[in-house]
This record gives sequence, structure tokens and C-alpha cells, in this order.
Amino acid sequence: MSITSTAAFFARRAAQKERVQILYRRALRDTLNWAVHRHLFYDDASNLRERFEANRHVENLDTIDRLIEDGEATYNKWRHPDPYIVPWAPGGSKFTRNPTPPEGIEIVYDYGREDNN
Amino acid sequence: MQSIRKSILRHINLRRSTERWFLMKDENILMQLRCLSSSTDAASDQILDQVIGLVKKYDRINASKVTETADFQKDLNLDSLDRVELIMALEEEFSIEIPDEKAEELTCCADVAKYITSGASQKVIEKA
Repeated sequence: MSITSTAAFFARRAAQKERVQILYRRALRDTLNWAVHRHLFYDDASNLRERFEANRHVENLDTIDRLIEDGEATYNKWRHPDPYIVPWAPGGSKFTRNPTPPEGIEIVYDYGREDNN
Repeated sequence: MQSIRKSILRHINLRRSTERWFLMKDENILMQLRCLSSSTDAASDQILDQVIGLVKKYDRINASKVTETADFQKDLNLDSLDRVELIMALEEEFSIEIPDEKAEELTCCADVAKYITSGASQKVIEKA
């Protein structure tokens, strides 16, 4: 019983930790999407953190799983329809803007003084 | 009169064009430097400094403990959620998006700086 079950326990713990981290990361991003302004975001972010901290000391594995599922359901329910994307990332407003000009086209810097040369 | 004018103009032109030539050379050197620096030490050092400065500003961290290789969780006593917040702050500072699986691998300032410079050099290659 002992070794395999402890190994399984720790594996499950690690998986849960990872899930919580990813959930927190996405939720924090989504908070910024909803808040838009920094001064609104700070309050929302600390509220979010409190909601995570409230369940910090839960020990029962099944309860943790249920809590994570609840959290993910809430996240999915309140997900922002039009999230912020970094401008030059795929889907951003500057993505593939200003592509490199074709070969043989270059800028000549002579500032309108061509005649006197 | 006309010939004097022409000779003067030519003279001026000559000087101007040599000046311009020097200017262009300078610009070229600058451009080369700019291209090179993304892969060399100068720019990456600057990014590392910026990363360390931002990590020091994080309020749950003891600023005096922050070094290049100090592990966020082990050495700086952050928990996993603090680290997530910190990585998000870094993402915003440098206007980048770090995918979830990459974000878990970043455990110290040097890692983050390396990730940012690698992203920047990729961008330069795409542009070239």
C-alpha cells in the first residue's frame, strides 16, 4: 500500500498544483481584460487572490479537485469575449503589418537634392 | 559669372556629398550595431537589468536577496501564485506573451531575460 499510494498521492498533488497555477494565470489575465484600467485591476486582482487564498489549507484531494473544477467553470463562464492581445502577437492589431519590401526596392536618402549632383 | 557660380556650387556639392557619405556610413554602422546587439551582450545585459529592477519592485520579495540566478520560489520565498503574478508583470513590462507551458519553466531572472532575448532575436530574423 504505502509506496505506490504515496507516489500516487504526490503525483495527484503535483497535477493539482499545476492546474491551479494555470487557472490562476488565466483568471488573472481575464481580470485585466475586464478591468481595462490599472487602478480597477489592482482591486480585482487582490479579490481574485483572496478567493484562491481562502482554500489554501484544504487537504482533502477530492475536495481540491471539486474546487478546481468549480473555479474552472467560473472562469469559463466569465471569460472575456474580446481579450487583449499583444499588438504584434498572432491576432493582435499589428500582426504582420509592415512586411519587408520585395527585393531590389530600397530607400535613397538624398532629401530632394538630386538635381545638383 | 555663371561659371563662378557653377564652380562654387560644385564645390559645395562635393563637400555635401562627402559629408553625406560619412553620415551614411555612420548610419550603417549604427544599423549594424543595432542588429548585432540583439544577439550580443549589450542588449541582453540591459534586459537582464530591467528584469532584475522589476523583480525588486515586487512587494512580496526582499529586494536585497534578488540576484540573477536566485530561484523565485526557493530563494525568494514566493509561492506558486506569486510567481504567476510576477511573470504576468514581466509580460506586461516587455509587451510579450509567454505561453503557459513556457511560463512554468521560468524560475529565475536569468531565465526570463534569456527567454525575452531569444524572442527578440527571432523577431529580428523574421524582419531580415
